[in-house]
Amino acid sequence: MIKLVNVCKSYQLGNEEVKAVCNINLEIKEKEFLSILGSSGSGKSTLMYLMGLLEKPTKGKIIIDGKDVSKLDDNELSHLRNRYIGFVFQSFNLINRYTVKENILLPIKYSKTKIEFDPEERADYLMKRFGIYERRNFFPNKISGGQQQRVAIARALITKPKLILADEPTGNLDSKTGEEILNLLKELNKDFGVTVVIVTHEREVAKKTKRQIFIKDGQIVKKYL
Amino acid sequence: MNGYKDIIKAAISDFGRNKIRTFLTSLGITIGVLAVVLLIALGLGIKNYIKQQFESLGANLITVLPGSGFGQGFGAGLINNTKFDEKDIKALEKINELKYVVPVFFKATSVEANNKKEFAYIRGVNEDFFKLRNVKTLVGKQFNSSDNQSKAKVAVLGYSIAEKLFESPENALEKTVRIEKQRFKVIGVSEKKGNSEEDLSIVVPFRSTYGAINPDKTFWGINLGVESEKDIQVAKKKVKDTLLKRYDEDKFTVSEQAEILSTINQIFNVLNIVLVAIGSISLIVGGVGIMNIMYASVTERIKEIGIRRAIGATEKDILVQFMAESVLLSAFGGIMGLLIAIGIVVIVRPFFPLSINLIAVIVAVGVSSFIGIFFGVFPARRAAKLSPIEAIRYE
Repeated sequence: MIKLVNVCKSYQLGNEEVKAVCNINLEIKEKEFLSILGSSGSGKSTLMYLMGLLEKPTKGKIIIDGKDVSKLDDNELSHLRNRYIGFVFQSFNLINRYTVKENILLPIKYSKTKIEFDPEERADYLMKRFGIYERRNFFPNKISGGQQQRVAIARALITKPKLILADEPTGNLDSKTGEEILNLLKELNKDFGVTVVIVTHEREVAKKTKRQIFIKDGQIVKKYL
Repeated sequence: MNGYKDIIKAAISDFGRNKIRTFLTSLGITIGVLAVVLLIALGLGIKNYIKQQFESLGANLITVLPGSGFGQGFGAGLINNTKFDEKDIKALEKINELKYVVPVFFKATSVEANNKKEFAYIRGVNEDFFKLRNVKTLVGKQFNSSDNQSKAKVAVLGYSIAEKLFESPENALEKTVRIEKQRFKVIGVSEKKGNSEEDLSIVVPFRSTYGAINPDKTFWGINLGVESEKDIQVAKKKVKDTLLKRYDEDKFTVSEQAEILSTINQIFNVLNIVLVAIGSISLIVGGVGIMNIMYASVTERIKEIGIRRAIGATEKDILVQFMAESVLLSAFGGIMGLLIAIGIVVIVRPFFPLSINLIAVIVAVGVSSFIGIFFGVFPARRAAKLSPIEAIRYE
């Protein structure tokens, strides 16, 4: 479903060109559950942002469902992010002045095409399933970290995306809650058939996934199949 | 975002979080719009007031004055000393288009009555003066043509001079006033006109001034009236031709009320522009205030902008969101300013001729919205152009 071909991303730092990732060749199939493992500064986050269409590669191609997306404009990329991809971040990244439910429904506001389901119903369903329905009218800073991350996952799922990109989803949580969140992501992969990519520096977290990709100094160095 | 309703709702809910900041930011625009609208109201009010004063003299009025040209007419008249007399009146009366021909003898002098001495304007005119200048009596009557023929010593007092000399208009009737040692009987008092020159006038038959008051039997000017406005131009030309037989072209001026009115309009249009320009300074200051706050608002919401971009907001969505906030802020300020201005105008109106018109309203709302767009576009563009990654990592 998503394929990276010879992808490079470099940044201009003053006069110096810094390569964050280079020569990445990677294919992720539908309904996969995998992790990208790397130490800090290895380029794993850049790789995630490239797959999440938040960054454009300086070289190479990103192909989604057979279509090269590296040349699309802001409108088309935003639309793809909105309908195809869901993000889960380490620091949850909820908007604190919106309630739990409003946060979950936010992506719907940016949808440029007709939505075939009732977003309110889906939000209610997701909140019930994740055990945060009772907290629907709370503001994010009034609920626990684990609950906040569940809200973030519900937000990522509201538009029925095919791909969930989770950047250190357990990084701000204690180990027990982190475990719960990982189990939840695993369930989603199984029950909803959604592809889940977890970016992490923790080997323990990576072990939970079926496939691990190891990244070092901006290059994929080993593949566990 | 989906609809304008959503965008406006989101902006208003943001204002709700920051009530004091919202209020203070839009206060700048409120004060600016208030200043502009009040200054326009003031300019219009004064213009209308002066226009009314002139129109009360009659729109179909043609004035013959000594000298060449309106503006320098009074001074020139004193220097080259053109004076009109009954020959001119007779000649002008032959012009068919003229309904009224009124000689005007004019003298500023002191009058005595009731053991008091007061300053007044003496006008020696004929009976048509009252119709031409739309003067109505409050008590008593006006003089007629036989009073003029017989040089009757009768006078119609202006409201203020009657009050000054006799305490009340009713008291003045049948009393005597002394003008330059001549005794005149008061036969009427005119309604108050609100114009000090008219209210301090003593109107007498022009022939009655012959002698001590007006020894050379001349007039300072001639007022002419036509039946309808469309006759004005023809009548003006005929009056000029008639007078040219006796006087050089630069010794007299024939002008109509409309000319004077258009001059007044020109003066006040310029004055209004100047007033609006002064008021606009405060609008610009208010706009800069909005820009400042919008920049601050963008900075404190950088992370939120990143989140929104990640979940599918386009650059345009972000731009529209921030533009909507700045336009709403300034439109809110503008409407507040307008409402306060209308309130002030309603309260002050009985005492001072302020006037608000549709143009002032459109200018106020239009300009404040434009300021929202103009000063909002830079911060909004900054927000929209933020790199999503940097924004999301911003702490």
